[in-house]
Amino acid sequence: MTSPRRTPARTARRRAGLAALALASATVLAACGGGGFEEDSTDTADGPTGGEGKASLQMLIASSGDAETKAVEDAAAAWAEESGNEVKVVVAQDMAQQLSQGFAGGNPPDIFYLDASLFPDYAVNENLYAYADQVDDVDDFYQPLRDTFTLDGTEYCVPKDFSTLALQINTKSWEAAGLTEDDLPTTWDELADVAGKLTTGDQVGLALGPGRDRVGAFLVENGGFWADSESGEITADTPENAEALQYAQDLLKSGDAAFSADLDSGWGGEAFGTERAAMTIEGNWIKGAMENDYPDVDYTVAELPEGPAGKGTLQFTQCWGISAESKNQSAAVDLVNFLTTPEQQLEFADAFGVMPSRQAAQQDYVDSYPEDAAFIAGGEYGQGPVNLPGVGPALADLDSQLESLKSANVEDVLGSFQKNAEAAVE
Amino acid sequence: MTPDGRTATGSVLATSSVSSAPTTGRGGPGPRRTGTGRRRLGESTNLSGWLFVAPTLVVLGLFLLVPILMALWVSVSDWTGKGNPFSGDTGFVGLDNYKVLFTEDALTRQDFMTSLRNNFYFVLLVVPAQTVLALFLAVVLNQSLLKARGFFRSAFYFPSVTSSVAISLTFLFLFTGSGAVNSLLGFVGIDGPNWFSDARGLIHIVGDKLGVWSIDSPPAALTDSGVLSLSWWDWLSGPSVALCVIIMLVVWTTTGTFMLMFLAALQDVPQDVVEASRIDGANRWNTFRAVTLPHLRPTMLLVITLGLIGTWQVFDQVFVMTTGGPSKTTSTPAYLQYFYAFEGQEWGVAAAMAFVLFLIIFVLTGLQRFLFRDKDAIAEKRAVRARNRRRRKALAAEGGEVR
Amino acid sequence: MSTLSPARRTPIDNRRALLLFLGYVVLVAFALIYLYPFFIQVATSFKTDPDAVRNPLSLSPDPFTGRSFQRLATSDFPLWFLNSVVVTVCVTVGRVFLDSLAGYALARIKFRGRQAIFTAVLAVMAVPGVILLIPKFLVLKQLQIYDTYPALIVPLLVDAAGVFIMKQFFENIPVSVEEAARIDGAGTFRIFWSVVLPMARPAVITLTILSFQGSWNELPHFIVASQDPALYTLTKGVATLTSGQLGSGNQFPLTMAAALVMTIPVALVFVIFQRYFVTGANAGAEKG
Repeated sequence: MTSPRRTPARTARRRAGLAALALASATVLAACGGGGFEEDSTDTADGPTGGEGKASLQMLIASSGDAETKAVEDAAAAWAEESGNEVKVVVAQDMAQQLSQGFAGGNPPDIFYLDASLFPDYAVNENLYAYADQVDDVDDFYQPLRDTFTLDGTEYCVPKDFSTLALQINTKSWEAAGLTEDDLPTTWDELADVAGKLTTGDQVGLALGPGRDRVGAFLVENGGFWADSESGEITADTPENAEALQYAQDLLKSGDAAFSADLDSGWGGEAFGTERAAMTIEGNWIKGAMENDYPDVDYTVAELPEGPAGKGTLQFTQCWGISAESKNQSAAVDLVNFLTTPEQQLEFADAFGVMPSRQAAQQDYVDSYPEDAAFIAGGEYGQGPVNLPGVGPALADLDSQLESLKSANVEDVLGSFQKNAEAAVE
Repeated sequence: MTPDGRTATGSVLATSSVSSAPTTGRGGPGPRRTGTGRRRLGESTNLSGWLFVAPTLVVLGLFLLVPILMALWVSVSDWTGKGNPFSGDTGFVGLDNYKVLFTEDALTRQDFMTSLRNNFYFVLLVVPAQTVLALFLAVVLNQSLLKARGFFRSAFYFPSVTSSVAISLTFLFLFTGSGAVNSLLGFVGIDGPNWFSDARGLIHIVGDKLGVWSIDSPPAALTDSGVLSLSWWDWLSGPSVALCVIIMLVVWTTTGTFMLMFLAALQDVPQDVVEASRIDGANRWNTFRAVTLPHLRPTMLLVITLGLIGTWQVFDQVFVMTTGGPSKTTSTPAYLQYFYAFEGQEWGVAAAMAFVLFLIIFVLTGLQRFLFRDKDAIAEKRAVRARNRRRRKALAAEGGEVR
Repeated sequence: MSTLSPARRTPIDNRRALLLFLGYVVLVAFALIYLYPFFIQVATSFKTDPDAVRNPLSLSPDPFTGRSFQRLATSDFPLWFLNSVVVTVCVTVGRVFLDSLAGYALARIKFRGRQAIFTAVLAVMAVPGVILLIPKFLVLKQLQIYDTYPALIVPLLVDAAGVFIMKQFFENIPVSVEEAARIDGAGTFRIFWSVVLPMARPAVITLTILSFQGSWNELPHFIVASQDPALYTLTKGVATLTSGQLGSGNQFPLTMAAALVMTIPVALVFVIFQRYFVTGANAGAEKG
């Protein structure tokens, strides 16, 4: 082969051109790829497996509002200060989606709120780090709450707190309707009656938040429920449940009650706070929201009225979940210990109204918040959520059907949930 | 290669698409192009050609081709979202995930069919509406007697360039129960619905108003039987009130782009033919139908194709405004696959949904192109013939000669 | 005739005047439909929450307040904005450069496999973007860049439509230009970079604008490419406002302010470079 008939200079220039091209492409990629802000490098470069050195934790919470966000941020900051670690508190838009994406993407938050209804699926998928045995004085937590976060004999996480549903009443509207303390509804008929009396041109008597977690209370009051979590049996398509849903539907149809979505609100508390509704059925978390967002609205809290089968309400709980893939598990457990001391639980109670999950904190709580008697009473007879592995989609479908409860056939709603949930449980 | 030669080539080829023209020049200067030299040069152009396209190929390959193959694997696997889908822990399940979508009477099929139904009604309303409205606005804007056309053109086009998220938020506000739209309706005495929480289907409502059936107690003949996990009553719902808001939003945002396309095509309509037709005594409407419309056919095909592709992909608005509710009536396959994967951790089923969606878009656009192509050619021929006839007539009338 | 005696109008003139009038009515009516929502967006962002709910149609905030913008400024919003700027700049620069390179090669460099590549690019354009959500997530995870800036940027660096636009344009540049440069001894990249690319200014500007607008408004890709709130872009961050990230419920002035701020950059570019948008839309038309 003869040598190329090209002057060295030209070849060099051409090479330089190609090199420049390669370099330019590389620069573009590198500038955009490698760069970024400093914060993100601290996030990816987590410290070594907890305990030694400085850990940087990410915490994902589902917040009821600024009050809760701030309280959790403050507590986390206090721990960070004390332990020399870092915590970044993130408020989830959609807890389930963000957790799933985190687990699938291989970088879930280290510590997060985990709702009782989501717990079984994550536990089955081995996404959770079972740390309950490392928590100080774990026997002090209420046993029913501990059971909620135990699957196949393994206790995974400890309950953060708990709350129950009660009836909130707008004092001004109540008085304007000529009602007195004696009129507090104690039966379904009385509830329908006062809702009617409270309904005016620009206010609806009762606002109901969306989904099974509100109307479910009526099922309990009528002696039924969606499922029996203990036996794993789906118990939706019973006459008692149909009767309870029918009651709720009649309330909606009468116009004396409405779903919060129909009142331009995201949840019952918002409809209540903006005074589009005179009453609502919400849990303890409404306290924080009312105090922060709607401080001018006076209200009282009463126990939910009894149904044909007696008293009934729903009880909710969440645990502090720790990811099985977290590199900072021991630091995270340390943080959980910090967040679940009786003192800290009382602080959370103070900030956003949830009830302590430790028995050691209960007496202080009852003494400090006499106005919460209705919520506390619910702790006695509250029904926990359906927490069977695999029924998540069936429950989500139930929620979506309940959105149009007003026009739905209640037997069909219950029947399709029964079918879907049974198929999921097998 | 003389300078003259170069100029000549340049001017001749300036507008042609003959890209092979530089063959002569590529070799660099001089008559010393030996066989060896040419091969060397060929290699070096090969090299630079590949270098030039390499980044594009890498990115497209890595983020388009490879991902599609990976998703194809996931769609036949039982991956639950934990760990690596390509490790030994993930099993091959054949077509099970696809069977879940079509043959198993359970919640997943019901969800998927519901989303297909929603999207079907969505396409059915959006594509004709945006096409007709875009054409209408383009025709009006094409009237040279009107002033300030540039301003109006920009006004109609502006929503197309803004963020779907920003627009979705704005529509959320406009359509809340006590929002701007219901206030407007209130002026004319209409009590507007609670748009985003109203799951009633449009056909259901119309039937109810006409007395065909009652929404509260639908005819048993329709509710008691059905196909693919939905009753006939559910299939026949029409778009829900909430979905109608998204329909309006999408028509509102997409019309501008399509209008520009029609406008460009309208400006190419030969004015002499239009005038000839008018001289022949045809009125505006007939001229439009006989001359303009056939001329717009290729653009029409394009607009409908782009419309079909776009409307089967609606995602942003659902994600921001409704997340599929109320009662799943705004769920679309594009959103559902996302939801099943990222929220439900059912990656296999979700990937299967994505491929079914791909197939739907592919088949529909292919079908639509095929149907239009025939008519197109026929119409073109007819139009040419008519034009020639008219031109001949016109020229004859003027005493000219037919060329 | 009629111009000589304007007082006497023929029926045709009347008809024409009526049509003209109707034309304006249509245009004004639709201009209101297309622009009023943006006016409401602007006005509402300066309202208080109760005012926004009570007077949704009104364009005059009463009282006028900048509180929504203050709240945005003290939230994560500035971070989202910054992220959007970083991502958009990188994507735009990268896209214009890489698309031009590939477009030039496909138009002018005759290399083996060119036709195959061009066919592949055309085929890629036919793949609907939304079905790539799951696949993209998988590949980002596999490449171990999920939840990083590269994950947000690199997959957007090339778009087939841009390659197509540039190829079309380069084909219309006279070959003679390159040949002159070649005789002077310039290499392929130099010819591309200092001779041909400057001549392609209109196409480059069009592509710049399309890339800017496309990446600024992109949502689904950002949803699946990251998780870390430090990597939220405007679209992803603002989308979370609907569920009350900054507090409970539908605080419309806040969401409208966010929508407004994210609309402004695109609106500015739109007003300044309008005609390139038009070119872009029609370049899109040709590719079909």
